Amino acid sequence: MKQKNIDNIIALSNDLRWQIGDEFHDNLAEGIYADAAEIVKVSVHKPNGDNRLRLDAKIDKIITSKTWGFPLMFLILAVVLWLTIVGANYPSSMLAELLLNTIHPALKGYASALGLPWWLDGFLIDGVYMAVAWVIAVMLPPMAIFFPLFTLLEDFGYLPRVAFNLDHLFKLSGAHGKQALTMSMGFGCNAAGVVATRIIDSPRERLIAIITNNFSLCNGRWPTQILIATIFIGATVPASFAGIASLGAVIGVAILGICFMFLTSWALSKTVLKGEVSTFNLELPPYRPPRFWKTIYTSIIDRTLIVLWRAIVFAAPAGAVIWLISNIHIGDLSIAAWMIDSFDGFGFLFGLNGVILVAYIVAIPANEIVIPTILMLTVLVTGISGGAGAGVMFELDSANATGEILRAGGWTLLTAVNLMLFSLLHNPCSTTIYTIYKETKSVRWTVVASILPVIMGFVVTFLVAQVWRLFA
Amino acid sequence: MNTYDPLLALLVFLGICLLGFLFFRPNNGWFWLINKGSQSTDKIIVEDILKRLYHNENAGKYLNINDIVRTLKQNDKMVIDSIDNMATLGLVRISGDIVKLTKSGSDYALRIIRAHRLWERYLADKTGFNKTEWHQRAERKEHELSMDETNLLAHKLGNPQFDPHGDPIPTITGKMAELKGVPVSELKTHTIGRIIHIKDKPDIIYKQIMAENIHIGSIIRVVEKSPERIVFHSEGEAFKLAPIMAGNITVSILEKNISYEEDILRLNILKENEKAKIIGISKEIRGESRRRLLDLGFVKGASVSIDLLNPLGEPKAYLIKGTSIALRNDQASKILIKK
Repeated sequence: MKQKNIDNIIALSNDLRWQIGDEFHDNLAEGIYADAAEIVKVSVHKPNGDNRLRLDAKIDKIITSKTWGFPLMFLILAVVLWLTIVGANYPSSMLAELLLNTIHPALKGYASALGLPWWLDGFLIDGVYMAVAWVIAVMLPPMAIFFPLFTLLEDFGYLPRVAFNLDHLFKLSGAHGKQALTMSMGFGCNAAGVVATRIIDSPRERLIAIITNNFSLCNGRWPTQILIATIFIGATVPASFAGIASLGAVIGVAILGICFMFLTSWALSKTVLKGEVSTFNLELPPYRPPRFWKTIYTSIIDRTLIVLWRAIVFAAPAGAVIWLISNIHIGDLSIAAWMIDSFDGFGFLFGLNGVILVAYIVAIPANEIVIPTILMLTVLVTGISGGAGAGVMFELDSANATGEILRAGGWTLLTAVNLMLFSLLHNPCSTTIYTIYKETKSVRWTVVASILPVIMGFVVTFLVAQVWRLFA
Repeated sequence: MNTYDPLLALLVFLGICLLGFLFFRPNNGWFWLINKGSQSTDKIIVEDILKRLYHNENAGKYLNINDIVRTLKQNDKMVIDSIDNMATLGLVRISGDIVKLTKSGSDYALRIIRAHRLWERYLADKTGFNKTEWHQRAERKEHELSMDETNLLAHKLGNPQFDPHGDPIPTITGKMAELKGVPVSELKTHTIGRIIHIKDKPDIIYKQIMAENIHIGSIIRVVEKSPERIVFHSEGEAFKLAPIMAGNITVSILEKNISYEEDILRLNILKENEKAKIIGISKEIRGESRRRLLDLGFVKGASVSIDLLNPLGEPKAYLIKGTSIALRNDQASKILIKK
């Protein structure tokens, strides 16, 4: 009986609710908002009616003007990237000197003094320690420069204006203007770029930004691009133009990445993501002087150290794997040699080689160790002199010496060009993959974000290789 | 590697691309065709016939078997078999050549219509699909939703009365809100009305109307009527439509004593250095986006002005409640203001 009454009441309420109609809800909500606005008007007093400062309006006029808006933007981005890439060289080489050339031999010395068996000492010191040290030396300085600079710009209020200026371009590819910011953040580190997509509050555009962030060359890949361009692209022109040619090639690859970002965004928003909810709005906060020390502190703690820690966690096992595959022998060859051998034919199709593919597989945890791994593996399989032994990654001080090793490994200009392309278009590093999973909480999008760039990389390198061979 | 030839490799690659395209191209890809073929088409045909009969009977027209066969894009024999089947199941009565719905047939039809309109409503409120896709998607989904799923959907959506095109949604008991309206093509000049319905079929005309940026809920005033075109003013803009398009837009005529305000405009036509008060947000902005706009302060009575123009034209930044908020033009065109 009681249940029946309750059911009746629910049925009646449903019926009444239906009769009131759809507009009721909206009107109620809007009424509440309007009332709240009225109350604010009566009870909150502002010192002066116009709370937009004159200076603010002036800055905005310049920053968003047709003449100055875009040049200013490119200039600032270029300065930030230049400071990061060039500025990071010095601390990086100091760290490398300390961690790789001083502590590493010292550790080896202790190990032999302690009488550790060669495999334990190799596994721990040459494998795990080496990878971690390498990642720290290459990764820490650029991040410690890039993130604070970026955060200062953000704090000042400039970045939202960049999103504002560029939104129309991103709208054409179905994305959000704020993706300009997450993309630029990706130039520092893709994992941080993925975290930064939190500023995009529209679900569809946020997914687009996450999936396409990998097309921004991160600071783990800039050095690879610069090194390979210097060795191979620079050599194709007279020495006096070598610098410009290699710089142009690197910038070209970065711009190609931006093109791929737009293309993929467009394709995603038109296909798999078209059902996701899309909203747009962009707040332009007032300018304020950045809180310098606080910004430096939080950007180092929140962004740099967290990302670095994740990278270390992933790099350590990678170091172990690299050492193991080069030192465990099956038959008369090491596992690495077997893998390289079986990948050689496949790699040839894409204008690459087995060494590069194996290096990209074992170096999924960190792009920073790709070049050292390639060098080590090349020395391992060609048997030329150089390097520090099986499973010990190394890098050379001079680009020329590096070039000689690579050429001895059978590299041509095509290999170099395709390596640069593949470095741009391949799966994100495992730190980024893990971050994508944490941000999307979806295996599906994580898989899409990881696989899509590799497929594109293979297609692009394949096409380049075939066309190259047809005409060269 | 002896057989390797770059040209051959390229050709093989192109071949694979072509195959992939044939398999997965939208609509006619083999993959989709195979997928579609595996669904039971019988149920779909029956339900499509029921819907067609229902709509026609509502308009006072009765269909014969020939009409049904002609209008359904299915195998003729299958359609005729289905009609026979439906007669034995008691969904329709065949008298002579005319096919009429029985009570249970019309209940069934209403259930399909309910599922269709609810799904359109769901697509509008909870997903980001473009509005030109709603109808096609609902056409497929209506056959897949069970009765329970439909009811659950209705409950989750708050038992809405109308679908996003303005069509009434039948309740579980078959009740429907009444829709009293006149097509724009039949309005006299100087009539004032509110758009309550935009027909989503045929597709081509619907897309044209959407491209004109005409919204449900807008108040219009007819200013010119001729056999070639109908011109009406709405929200600060003039719209010129061919009669065939105007015939697909329904308005409810407003009483004469409600004065039409010529000065109600869309936010996107606001110029720099002008101030305006917000009148409301069009019903075309739904769900999440609507809530966001309200949160940001785009509420009735708030004053708004342009803060910044964009070097690329879009989005513009509007100053509202002391904050600068950038909106794209398609959003701003759905916010109504008064200067």
